[in-house]
This record gives sequence, structure tokens and C-alpha cells, in this order.
Amino acid sequence: MSVEVPVPVPVDLDEVDLSDRDWWVRPPAERHAAFDRLRRERPFAFFAEPEIPGIPTGPGYRAVTRYADLEAISSQPALFCSGKGAVSMQDIPAELHEFYGSLISMDDPRHAKIRRIVSKTFTPRMLERTLDSVRAVVDDVLAAARRTAEAGDGTIDVVADIAAPIPLRVICDMMGIPEEDRPGVLNRSNIILSGGDPELIEDGDPLTAFLTAGMEMAALMERLAAERLEQPREDLTTALVTTEVDGEKLSHQEIASFFILLLVAGNETTRNALSQGLLALAEHPDQRARWAADPGLDRTAVEEVVRWVSPVTWMRRTATRDGELNGHRFSAGDKFLLFYAAANRDPEAFRDPQVFDVGRDPNPHVGFGSKGPHFCLGAHLARRELAVAFRAMFDQLPDLEVTGPPDRLRSSFVNGLKRLPARLTGVR
Amino acid sequence: MRVSADRERCVGSGQCELLAPDVFEVDDDGAVRVLVPEPGEEERDAVRDAVAQCPTGALAVSG
Repeated sequence: MSVEVPVPVPVDLDEVDLSDRDWWVRPPAERHAAFDRLRRERPFAFFAEPEIPGIPTGPGYRAVTRYADLEAISSQPALFCSGKGAVSMQDIPAELHEFYGSLISMDDPRHAKIRRIVSKTFTPRMLERTLDSVRAVVDDVLAAARRTAEAGDGTIDVVADIAAPIPLRVICDMMGIPEEDRPGVLNRSNIILSGGDPELIEDGDPLTAFLTAGMEMAALMERLAAERLEQPREDLTTALVTTEVDGEKLSHQEIASFFILLLVAGNETTRNALSQGLLALAEHPDQRARWAADPGLDRTAVEEVVRWVSPVTWMRRTATRDGELNGHRFSAGDKFLLFYAAANRDPEAFRDPQVFDVGRDPNPHVGFGSKGPHFCLGAHLARRELAVAFRAMFDQLPDLEVTGPPDRLRSSFVNGLKRLPARLTGVR
Repeated sequence: MRVSADRERCVGSGQCELLAPDVFEVDDDGAVRVLVPEPGEEERDAVRDAVAQCPTGALAVSG
């Protein structure tokens, strides 16, 4: 296979455009070389916003690449808000906000109140109870992957056969999504986070595809919501439709966007941590052997996979007033993109940041977000899924060998793989 | 050592429950509850970690 070892590569900073989606399919080594130089030389580098048909292009943004700056912004939500949009470089038009705003693009106190409806479900204690079902899902998916390899020529696609189905099934179980609706959920989730990748947007313009996918997810939610109001169950969808905040139920729109957020976020992030964690292990066979031999490393290794991959590349914050941060003057309305992927390789925060070390401890990575109220809701779930899945892969697919270069998603926002070819060498 | 929590600031991220499960719990309202307001010496490090790592700065210790 072609190995992507992160070694320093020469990079011309004036050629780097973080708004250019094509830049994001280039090898990670190049990406991290650019981040290294941005951190050192242009810690608040300015970039113009990309032009997207149907959306007005805004004034541009600052790329935050140093760990300390990122933490300072993230931990001051009153000064650097999320409510102007956290997941798009552009200010979100009203019709998009309706479907994709949700908690991520909301500020306290409303954010905290709505988040607490589901936060209990995602705590370590509650998830302990779902551990057996996560194990069952993983075992089932890995057995199916082996059958796929045996039925064919021994090859599998890590993304389609392992990394996508595991988190999809786990989150759909938690939400109570019927089996027959799950392929549709995967497909629409892909479109919503496609970054306009032409392979995922079959026809028409990306904006229409986003909206259609959002409306279809909302239609699914409406159907399930009606069913749950009639017959409540022990699932997240029931919690969304029955819980009251400040004496009122959530609005239709709030439920729809929360529903979409849980499904999309629960799907895409863990998928990419799984696939690229496997890729990292293929590129670092010593670390793979070390982790496989020692279940005691599960905790640190999972954190290192999240640091290394940084499945969500950035979130946005917007200044609510004029001010100064670590020597940088800013004005109300200025946009900051918090590049978690860059902060996670900051030598000021990590010793040997370009080394993939499954025993790294401490590991204060920001792969689940930094300080502040928007810390990843699903962090504990993701940790469990990853720990269970990697351990099971070592045990049940010890002969898995990554064979080809990955096919990267053309997105700046999600560090995603569309395909990762592999084979099971035990299959003849 | 005395532990206190600001439930208004808390978003129930559960980091404290992960780091010091005998001292903290996210309750049915989705916010932190301090199970042991005056934890013993053996919990000291875990509690300090939890306070330092709380994403919203909702926890405090004194003494």
C-alpha cells in the first residue's frame, strides 16, 4: 500500500487555501506540514470564504491553529459564540439553520437546557449498560465482513464493511430507528456531511441536495415522533418528543434538527475514527502489535486515535464584541475556525506530536472539542465503540491487511474516508 | 476537601463521572450531582482532575 507517513514536506504557505475543498484530499502529511507553519508563522491566518451557489459569500475567517488560542476561544462562549453558525464558514441562511443549526449552533442558556434532555443517556454510567449491545453489534458486523471476504476474493472495504455499519447500528438502536429506514439514514447523513463531494451529490446543486436530505430526515422524525407520542419507548427519540424545557415541549423544528444532529454526528465521526485508526495502525505496525498484545492500552490508544485522526477538522466561533486575544485584535462579527486537527499536533501541547503513540499519556487532545459547553456529547459513546471495535478486530480479524490507498472525502469539515481497500489474508 | 458544582453551568458532559465516578454523577435532569461533597484523601487526585477537565468550569474544590 502507499504509506502516508507524516514527515515534514515543503509547503508554500501562499499556496495553502483552507477554503479549497480540493486541498483537503491531498495527503495528510502535506496538511500537517501546512498547519505546522501556520501555527508558527501565521497563527491567526486570514482566509476568504469559498463561494457556494445559493449562499452569500461572507467576509472570511481566521484559522486558529495553536492549541492555546483554540482553548482560549472555546472556553469563552459569551465572547466567541456559536449561535451565528458553528458548522459552516458562511452565516447560515434561515432555511438551512432550521435543519442543521441545532445545539451545535446554539448558545447557552437554551443550548444547555436542550442538551440536558439527552446528556444523561450519553454518560459513562448509562453507557455501561449499553456495552453488551455495542459488543453484539461489533461481533455481528465483523462476522459479516469476514463472510463478504469469503464470498468474494478475500477483499473488503473497511469503510463500507466495518467502519460505517458499527456506529450506524449503535446510534440507530439508541434512537429507535427501524431496520428498514437505516440505509436511508446512512445515505442522507453522507449527503449532509459530504462537503459537496460530487460522488455523494448525484445530481443537482449541493444546496438542494442538503435541503432535500434534511427534509427527508425530518419526515422520518415526524413519523417516529407520532409513533412515540402514541407509544413511548426507552429511546432517545421518545426523550426528544416528550421532555419539557422551561415548561414547554421542544418545537417541531428543534426536535427535527436535534434528531438529525444525533444521527449524523453519531454516524460520521466514529466511522472516520475507525477507518483512519485502522489506517494509522497499518502505517505503524509496531504500534498495532503493541496495542493488540495489551488490552491495558485500550484507553490511551483510543484517545490517541482520536487525536491522530481528529474526525471533525474544525468548528466555528464568532466574536460578539471587539477585543484582543494573545496579541491578535479582533472586531465583533469576526469569524474564527478552530482547527482541532492543527491544535492536536501543537508541540506546545504534545511531546513529539507527529508520533503516533498508542500509550500516549497525558493526552489532552481536542478531538472531542476543547473547553466550553459544546464539548462532544457523544465522547463517551465514541470511546466505547472504538475500544470495543479495535479489540474485537484484533481478536476476530487478525489477518486484516490494508491494501490500498484511502479514498478521501472532499471536505474541509469532516476528515473522512470514502473507501479503504483491505483484504483478509486468511481467506483463500 | 470540599466539592461544589454549579448546575446551571453544567451541560452534563460526564467527564467528571468518567474520572471520579464515586464522587460525581450526571442525574436524570442531565446535570451533575455531587454524591460525596467531602471526598476522602484517596479521591483527591481524581477529583482535582475532574475539576480541571470539566469543559464548562462547573466544578470547584476548596480545602
